[in-house]
Amino acid sequence: MLGAAVPEGDHQARLGGRGGRFLARLNYLYLLLMLVVIAGILTAAMVMQYAKGELPCPLCLLQRVALFGIAYGIIQNFRGRFSYQNTGISLVFAVLLLIVASRQTLLDIYPRPGHEYIGTAILGLHMPVWSVIIASTIISAYALKLAILGGDEHLADYPAAEFPLLARLADFGAAYVIVLCLINLGSAVVQCGFGECHTMGYKLIENGLPGLWLK
Amino acid sequence: MMVAVFATMALAILVGQFGPRWLAALFLTACIGLFAWLFLFEIYSPEWGFRMPWLQTLLGAPGREG
Repeated sequence: MLGAAVPEGDHQARLGGRGGRFLARLNYLYLLLMLVVIAGILTAAMVMQYAKGELPCPLCLLQRVALFGIAYGIIQNFRGRFSYQNTGISLVFAVLLLIVASRQTLLDIYPRPGHEYIGTAILGLHMPVWSVIIASTIISAYALKLAILGGDEHLADYPAAEFPLLARLADFGAAYVIVLCLINLGSAVVQCGFGECHTMGYKLIENGLPGLWLK
Repeated sequence: MMVAVFATMALAILVGQFGPRWLAALFLTACIGLFAWLFLFEIYSPEWGFRMPWLQTLLGAPGREG
């Protein structure tokens, strides 16, 4: 019957109540793991900054902002019901991360005065190269998720609150990301002031309060 | 400017978690705009513009060598 509406019950029956719920749980678990990985990457970047004294360059800081943007999209999915709008927000920031990281990789790929890969190399790769890998991995992870769970609007039928353990863990994750973001905001004020960012030192520490307005 | 990017992002995440969603979306949009502007500002060179002349991709014309 062309044009006939599919009864709601058929949709539920096709998915199977348990099956739909299982997929929704899997979806939230997947998102939670992504949030944990992103929080871990941001934590590692901050440990390298504060423990090893490696000041982040402006493009490095923008890459952190992009990671926070990806985390924002994930956190929003746990606040209410799952939405592909939030997935879209995360993907926008993942693409921004890829663009910035690719440009920085190309900027330093040919060592010359003032331009070379700086900081600790992990497994022989420096931070901007890792950022390209991280951005590609995040975009691939979303592609994989959409391939497996995509096209299923019923995921929105199960709010995160229906899975108390996952929702609680996501709340902790969100709180941790918020704290990380606020620390990064404070760190950006100390390092860059209200002017341009440099990697020579922390403007506020070296110049006091007038340093905040230095170019 | 970097501070403004981080501030708008922090506000977006905070409001997204505790406040109205439309306000979070507003801060997030502002953040993306500032992000794009700052990125272009950082990579622009008065000498080279947005080009990357240290990347030589031009092959020698056939017959020139050997």
